[in-house]
Amino acid sequence: MTNLIEFLPLLMRGLQITLLLAVCTLILGVLLGLVLAMAKLSKNPWISRPVFAVTNFLRGIPEFLILLIIFFGGTQVLGNILGPESSITVSPFGAGLTALTIVFGSYASETFRAAFQSVPKGQLEAAHACGFTRWQTFRYIQMPQIWRVAIPGLSNLWQGAVKDTALVSIVGLDDLMRSANQAAQTSREPFTFYLAAALMFLAITLVSMWLIGLLEKRANRGF
Amino acid sequence: MDGGARTPQLALEVSDLHKSYGAHQVLKGISLQAENRDVVAILGSSGSGKSTFLRCINLLETPTKGAVRVDGELIKMTESRGEPAPADHKQVERIRSKLAMVFQQFNLWQHLTIRENVTIAQVKVLGRSEEEAIAKAEAMMEKVGVADKRNHYPSQLSGGQQQRVAIARALAMDPEVMLFDEPTSALDPELVNEVLKVMRSLAEEGRTMLVVTHETGFAREAANKLLFLHQGLVEESGDPREAMANPQSERFRQFLTGNLK
Repeated sequence: MTNLIEFLPLLMRGLQITLLLAVCTLILGVLLGLVLAMAKLSKNPWISRPVFAVTNFLRGIPEFLILLIIFFGGTQVLGNILGPESSITVSPFGAGLTALTIVFGSYASETFRAAFQSVPKGQLEAAHACGFTRWQTFRYIQMPQIWRVAIPGLSNLWQGAVKDTALVSIVGLDDLMRSANQAAQTSREPFTFYLAAALMFLAITLVSMWLIGLLEKRANRGF
Repeated sequence: MDGGARTPQLALEVSDLHKSYGAHQVLKGISLQAENRDVVAILGSSGSGKSTFLRCINLLETPTKGAVRVDGELIKMTESRGEPAPADHKQVERIRSKLAMVFQQFNLWQHLTIRENVTIAQVKVLGRSEEEAIAKAEAMMEKVGVADKRNHYPSQLSGGQQQRVAIARALAMDPEVMLFDEPTSALDPELVNEVLKVMRSLAEEGRTMLVVTHETGFAREAANKLLFLHQGLVEESGDPREAMANPQSERFRQFLTGNLK
């Protein structure tokens, strides 16, 4: 118990980094997913086909492998370009964020693609007929209805992203997982600290499920 | 340039409109002139191109050939990758806001309340203030008899109520011309009349309207011009009462007997 109090600040700092990484992944991943979905729905096959190919490829390989490629591979490539004495390296946070974002974005692109197609054409025609610009149609008519359909899928991806942040501890990010590891090894009480970490992950998940429930209720008004 | 000065100002002028999908010609050259306060009924069996014609006027479909003038202003067209396309999106958006459309399937925005449906385009397209738009929306909802539904969502309303809201949404834009695309075709028979009643009152008010419809009764009683389309061409036109009492074309005669049975 004394150990738990002693190491709690360490765990809390780790929790902060885990949350920061997960939230940044969510924001960038949603934006990336939207852009990729629009590219997939493009009438121009020179745009849609390569995007399908890349996202299928990214969804087909382990996230952990993508992380290693970006972190170690990225440092190697930067070193080759800038010469051996360059001190530029890929940061664990940057590598983790990049890896999680492109995987999140690849999956989210499928969620958004289905959501885009679920909005009846008449909804957009009515907006055009009123004189809405394309952007206004997207912003005020399409997007609110896309959210409604996309929220359940995005919520799964978010839960996955929160848990996948633990992978980034392998490349040295001081997240919740790594802090728990350090505390477990130093105190020789692995059960206590892994359980504490598990409860913290669970807390994030429960709070976000509650928030998503509220969002879903709001988005479903009128349906 | 003197085209506008020569004739009295037409609310809407369509000349020689063509529309093809690939090799399939849907419209083969249709012209129409509507003065202010005209109510034009456009009849035709299914596949005659009447809905496509209406949708070409506000460019929901891009005409292959022909000219559309709204209030004397020609909609500028150009070509992109060998296909006709509107030349100036800003102009199209401005003209669309003067040509309110009422759809067969109502197309109310599902995620917005009735009042929001009637206000949003006023605010975002016409730039009215929120208060101004709400006042206008209230007046229009009152007029079509849906004011008590202001905080409901479209899915909570009957088809007839939804279509009346759609008419209120169109009216709120203060349009020059209203386009009705088979406004009663998706309604249960007992709900048709409440919508026709609203449309009749608009006609009496002197609204300029183009109405694609199967309702020959409405065409006879409320319209002052008639256009009967068959296979992408105008087969018969003129005063609705005269044309329907004494049809000149065989097709129109058949259409009327088929419809009046």
